[in-house]
Amino acid sequence: MLTTYFKIAIRNLKRHRLFSAINILGLTIGMATCMVIMLYVRHELSYDRFNEKADRIVRVTFRGSVQGEKMNEAHVMPPVAWTLKTDFPEVEEATRLRNGGFPRISYGEKSFREDALAYADSNIFEVFTLPLITGDPKTALRAPNSIVISKEIAEKYFGKEDPINKTLLLKDSNIGYKVTGVMENVPELSHFHFDLFASMASLPEAREASWMTSEYFTYLVLPKGYDYRTLENKLPGTVEKYMGPQLQQAMGITFSEFKQKGNKLGLFLQPLTDIHLYSGFMYDLGPRGNRQYVYIFIIIALFMLLIACINFINLSTAAASKRAREVGVRKVLGSERWQLVKQFLTESIVLTFIALAIAVIIVKICLPFFNNLSGKALDLQLTDPWLLSALLITGLLTAVLAGTYPALFLSSFQPVRVLKGAFQAGKSGISLRSGLVIVQFFVSVSLIVGTIVVYQQLRYINSKSLGYNKEQVLVLRETGLLGQKEEVFRQKLLRDSRVLSVTNSGYLPAGPTNNNNFFVYPGDGTATEQVKTLRYDVDEQYVPTLGINMLSGRNFSKDLASDSSAVIINEAAVRSFGWEKNAIGKTINAVHRNGSQGSLRVIGVVKDFHFKSLHERISPLVMVLGESDGLIVKLKTTDVEAVLQSVKVHWSELGPGEPFNYSFLDESFNNTYRFERTIGQILGIFAGLTILVACLGLFGLATFTTEQRIKEIGIRKVLGASISDIITLLSKDFLKLVLLANLLAWPLAWWGMNLWLEDFAYRIRIDWWIFIAAGFLTMLIAVLIVGIKAINAGRANPIKSLRTE
Amino acid sequence: MIQLKHIFHWVNQGGKRVFILKDINMEVNEGEFISVMGASGSGKSTLLHILGTIQEPNEGDYFLKGESVYQLKEKQRSLLMKQNIGIVFQAYHLIDELTVYENIETPLLYLNIPASERKARVAEMLDKFQIVGKKDLFPSQLSGGQQQIVGIARALIIEPTLLLADEPTGNLNSKQGEEIMNIFKELNQEGVTIVQVTHSEKNAAYGTRIITLSDGQIEHAKNDQ
Repeated sequence: MLTTYFKIAIRNLKRHRLFSAINILGLTIGMATCMVIMLYVRHELSYDRFNEKADRIVRVTFRGSVQGEKMNEAHVMPPVAWTLKTDFPEVEEATRLRNGGFPRISYGEKSFREDALAYADSNIFEVFTLPLITGDPKTALRAPNSIVISKEIAEKYFGKEDPINKTLLLKDSNIGYKVTGVMENVPELSHFHFDLFASMASLPEAREASWMTSEYFTYLVLPKGYDYRTLENKLPGTVEKYMGPQLQQAMGITFSEFKQKGNKLGLFLQPLTDIHLYSGFMYDLGPRGNRQYVYIFIIIALFMLLIACINFINLSTAAASKRAREVGVRKVLGSERWQLVKQFLTESIVLTFIALAIAVIIVKICLPFFNNLSGKALDLQLTDPWLLSALLITGLLTAVLAGTYPALFLSSFQPVRVLKGAFQAGKSGISLRSGLVIVQFFVSVSLIVGTIVVYQQLRYINSKSLGYNKEQVLVLRETGLLGQKEEVFRQKLLRDSRVLSVTNSGYLPAGPTNNNNFFVYPGDGTATEQVKTLRYDVDEQYVPTLGINMLSGRNFSKDLASDSSAVIINEAAVRSFGWEKNAIGKTINAVHRNGSQGSLRVIGVVKDFHFKSLHERISPLVMVLGESDGLIVKLKTTDVEAVLQSVKVHWSELGPGEPFNYSFLDESFNNTYRFERTIGQILGIFAGLTILVACLGLFGLATFTTEQRIKEIGIRKVLGASISDIITLLSKDFLKLVLLANLLAWPLAWWGMNLWLEDFAYRIRIDWWIFIAAGFLTMLIAVLIVGIKAINAGRANPIKSLRTE
Repeated sequence: MIQLKHIFHWVNQGGKRVFILKDINMEVNEGEFISVMGASGSGKSTLLHILGTIQEPNEGDYFLKGESVYQLKEKQRSLLMKQNIGIVFQAYHLIDELTVYENIETPLLYLNIPASERKARVAEMLDKFQIVGKKDLFPSQLSGGQQQIVGIARALIIEPTLLLADEPTGNLNSKQGEEIMNIFKELNQEGVTIVQVTHSEKNAAYGTRIITLSDGQIEHAKNDQ
């Protein structure tokens, strides 16, 4: 019986080629999209799961708000780890990581700049599952100046030599670290990717009982089945007990006074497996995923599949008259209804699995493209049992979702009506099909609106006046490596006629930059309210080089020695200091890291410029004359490549062997919004695919309706109807549906996109024309599709269609 | 073998009952070849559909082999009918997607007959009607007469107690029609009980008894022998 079902299914597919092709194409696109998204979502959800204790590890985080300024950090103070371990028996293990920055490391002749060094407590390997190839995980990081390196690093520095007990030199501090272990590379799906773990014991400051600095990523292992929230609820007490006294010493107020002023500070716990998707901290180990986009993608995947299934349902029920006679005959021949249901379901299963097979091939081909776009390394491994079963389940689910209704519908026909010819298939189920077409276009319109809004916001970002000039700005990092020769290098650059100006600063308004929290008391020293600002250490060329506008006052001057205690602030700082006008000449008192205070005189105010991304409001900024590593070069020419070449030559002359590290400011700026751009592109692709599938369905329905009404069209033509009359006749009904879909989709899209835009402090308003455009586009597509069918029908010789009966 | 008792069937038109069949009483005995005649709309097709249980009358009883058909549960009735009744249609109603062989085989599938026996029985039927050479063709590749022969073979494959034929020659030319009628006659002589609906006096004459319907009522029955 089953083979018969298969045989019939295949023959039916062949016989109704157009409908089969439309259905398979639609399902293929739907399932291919689903597959890609499934891989993506699985990838995003499986971060850090490789750790054997993944479910028991939590990270301690720091959140608070001081004078309305939110603080949100993934790292905490040095004593947190040992304090929690001592005070709470449920903490089985506590370990810390500290980012080691970008040290230059050498072994013999070989010297590289590394970007994946961390300092780690000696028990790190008992918390995280990072197997050592050689060395004892328990003791490897116990001694000061010992280091565990990855296989990759071992090969890079030591080649075939055995690295154990060899010494790697950190050139900046000139301290040697003895290699005590080699580990497997940290898995890709880890929230940190360090290649070198130096022993925390090497850092004296890591043992300081200071609750005022925080650079230590702290992880705890809790007992099996223990709810981390129980511990989290006990943390406020700990904070008050240990941080309170130190806070009082630094700020002169008690912790409860501090809290009474509306300030908040606290430690929180975050499960390890939440780190990738549920973070969003100011300082974290590398970029995090975004769960919103995971949700959006899941919804899109379901929508795509739904739309493809709707195509199948629509076309199958519309084509019911073609199958009705068969159903009638079979029933007369003794078939029971469930047997027919099985037969029709077999057909949808066959169809779905053909589509699934094609989808697998398409995904295989398209994954590199998607990876390129999303920056992920997804792979479709058919040998993976999880994936294979997921695919099979998706296929079966789709088949059942698409096939059940048509199967029930088709198998319900009464033989007597069918065989007497009284059956008017195509008429039945019209309201259902209309509803489904509305759903399809509802989704399409929403996605079109979404895509347009994303692109508009991106264009807004690109065209927004940032308050500084990012074009033709070359950024050179680590010029301090040249030491004494840095000034020579600078002079050489200035002598180049293509260079407009050069400033010495590592602070950039876009891309990776130095950041320096700076707490100041505005006024003459009587103020008790601290204001959190950012401090830029610059020279007198900074403001002109970046094209920042002075609002009042003057820029720094080299000739005035008194400018060493001068400060230039931005408008936001003026506002938050509570000064209305005439900020010039006022003073602020600054708290330095070491606790000392100094007074700074305001000599200038700059117009607000966007030194943070447009996601965030412009915050108070102060600029002082000071040392900072890096040169920013403003060029006169657009031929930046040529300048870059000669700059490189100067560099290698002055600092042979030192890494030349450069970027362009406009590129860094664009990279800030890379994620949004990617989302825009992906959304655009999905919107396009959704519309394509919906259009396929509409085309199928139009084909079918035209066939059904061929006689009516013939009669109308004989009676004098023109082709345009016929097009109107046929497209009117479809247009009504598309219009209705638009009316339903607009409010939802408006609401959803406003939600997305809320993430930007600086954003566009959604224009009404976007909705009109989406509406017009969908209507146009619908008219075109129906029109093609209608023109064919209108052109046909009416005699032909009328003679058949 | 078959008895219809007080069969009434009607439709409501404008609040009025319009009778299609009115108090039909008839009996079909084993070995008979009954021709049901009547003008268009006299109810003869409905009568045939009722005999084939494609349709149920509003009132009345139907006995098949002593079982009261309408008293049976759906499943039992379905089984009784698919084992005992074969139907031949005017428009053949072969399944377009199936070959000649598969069309004939289909009723056996629904009776859960094992593959080897199906094969034997279909082969026998192909042989009987001399269509072995056409077994892999699809209906669209056959002439009307040939399609109707396949239709008959399909109806006979279950070895029915009763063969129903609804104007089996209605869509055929006279030569093909004659061929079909001769097949029916031979089948009847082999012992198959047949009820056919027909317009044509000539075709009716092949039967052993004629029932004439007029406005849903049996006019008179006469024995032709």
